[in-house]
Amino acid sequence: MKTIASILLFSMAPLMAIAMNADLSGNLEGQFRNATNNDEAKKSPLFQDWDNENFFLAYGNVNAKIELGDSRLEANWFGRHGLSPLYEPKPLSPLGADRDPYLATNVFSFPQRLVARDMFKLQHVYQQGDRKTESVLNKFYYEWDYDKNRFMVGRMYINYGLGEIFNPMNPFNQPTGLTAISQVAQGNDGFSLTYFVSDSHTIQFLLLGDKRIEGYDGEINRTLWLHGEYQYSGNLQLDYVIGEDQNRQKIGGQVSYQLEDALIFTQLLYQSPNIKDEPSHNLLDLLFGYDQQLTGIWHVRFEGGYQKSDRFATATTFDRFLPTEYFGALANVIEVHPLLKVSGTLIHDVKSGFSYTIAKATYSATKSTEVEAFAFSPISRGDEPDNLAQKLVTQDLGVALRAFF
Amino acid sequence: MRKYIFRKDFVFCLALGAKINNPDAWLDYQEKEMRGDRSRSDMVMTIKTPNWSRTLEILSDVEGKKQALSTIQSPAKDKGIRTLRIENNMWNYFPKLKRKVAVSSSMLLASWMGSDFTNDDILKASSMAEDYSHKFAKDIPGFKVIINTAKSNSKVMWPRIVTYASKKDCLPRRYGYYDKEGKLRRTLNFSQIKTFNGHKVPTHWEMIPQDDKTKKTVIDYRSIDFAVVFKPDQFSQKNLTGN
Repeated sequence: MKTIASILLFSMAPLMAIAMNADLSGNLEGQFRNATNNDEAKKSPLFQDWDNENFFLAYGNVNAKIELGDSRLEANWFGRHGLSPLYEPKPLSPLGADRDPYLATNVFSFPQRLVARDMFKLQHVYQQGDRKTESVLNKFYYEWDYDKNRFMVGRMYINYGLGEIFNPMNPFNQPTGLTAISQVAQGNDGFSLTYFVSDSHTIQFLLLGDKRIEGYDGEINRTLWLHGEYQYSGNLQLDYVIGEDQNRQKIGGQVSYQLEDALIFTQLLYQSPNIKDEPSHNLLDLLFGYDQQLTGIWHVRFEGGYQKSDRFATATTFDRFLPTEYFGALANVIEVHPLLKVSGTLIHDVKSGFSYTIAKATYSATKSTEVEAFAFSPISRGDEPDNLAQKLVTQDLGVALRAFF
Repeated sequence: MRKYIFRKDFVFCLALGAKINNPDAWLDYQEKEMRGDRSRSDMVMTIKTPNWSRTLEILSDVEGKKQALSTIQSPAKDKGIRTLRIENNMWNYFPKLKRKVAVSSSMLLASWMGSDFTNDDILKASSMAEDYSHKFAKDIPGFKVIINTAKSNSKVMWPRIVTYASKKDCLPRRYGYYDKEGKLRRTLNFSQIKTFNGHKVPTHWEMIPQDDKTKKTVIDYRSIDFAVVFKPDQFSQKNLTGN
């Protein structure tokens, strides 16, 4: 026994000489929201027959990290509990069948899926009556740096691209610029290899499980993806993406340029028709962005673009949050006081006339807590009868309390 | 007299030698003392008003005049957020979401974490010695007064900064920051000189905005290591995103 212990100690000595760093952090948030339905949503084909309801949401993250030399293991547990009559629609007729929760619950808790590419099934969702509880290990990966390479395997966040409202060249993480949820990212199962070619050029190769909106049905397809970042000069950065994802071949990129006082950027993503002969057509996304700190306290961002609508998608399989096809969005953030930030975002669909506004005021109550009041409201209705996403936009007032540890 | 000449402060100030009447030499000396070739600083920033205060702990790595990396140690909400500067490019990295964001150069003038310091101050993006031309103004008792005027080709926030440097140790005790209209906008006071690895550095900084003198931001340096040896990729994208 002593011999075994000695051998173990001897073999572990080089590892013990490397400093180990462990960290545990997280956040907890409670939200109350009062929502008024869009009259258009009450009619066929959506049948969202409710008027005004309350929606309670509590969610939180616990993030654990262990670093040992050039290796690290990181995990994040995400828990979410929603409570609202909207989870329990009444049957359409007295003897009618039970119905799925109203679609607004998906919008209020967007992003619905905390794991975009789910091969390992490390999540539990429980829904009964007027409540829904989710428990998800949405990050769990091992990472190893070796020379100019970084290997990652497991469930990981993949976050790149400058778009905050619309970020088409990144299909792995939904932008949350238009939601009331913060501190949330989507996990993706698979393998990543990043090669740091030089100080100015990085290439990331991804092999992931494919994304499914309605479940896998025992089938695991693949996502093959390449993302590169190239700093061409002090002012100009080029990003490129190419790969196969969700049974479509995709190619695109981003160009960003630093002006004297601002940052401008543009993105383009082309998606081929479905390569498995399912009914489909190609898709094209375009984005133009402008970002400037106007004064010491006032930050402004404009994003405008085009998201070709997928006419084969239904309201339940529609996985894009943006309820417009052509859009322009103006976001202002003003630091009224070191403890108080207010923001206002206006988004407008130039084709249909649909406009939508979001206002938030965030107050840092203590060192580890903040309070946020928020309002979401359509301000002009679109004139496109087929645009179901626009009809689902509700008028909401809410308040959130966040704590960090 | 002999006792006075060999007082440590006086001897230290003589490091300027024959250049004692050259304002450029004063600024060069101050930057060499306070920035060094490279450093790792452990500091506490406190934002104070009559009604509340907030504290942040920051680790700051600087190499030369073009590379800097700062990491927030606390509070919990912001822990781990990193900012990397290489040349004129800047990135923020949010480790909890694994998100890296390129920062517009206009953000240099933005308040850093709600404090009276800007991104430019924290990342030491401007160099007083290189980006400004210098001339003496009339001395005030105990202090040399140096007018620093932005060079026409430099990208700096403040067109004019006035340095009040102690005649005892040549180190600054106050900066006055003036806007384009020549109006004093903020004052940075330095005190509590300490020595780290042979470098004399003011360790207590107080930034006071002129439009609201009830408010101030204080930085206290707990330690500065001027002998730090950084790994070759310390100021790289790989290191920025590797935590």
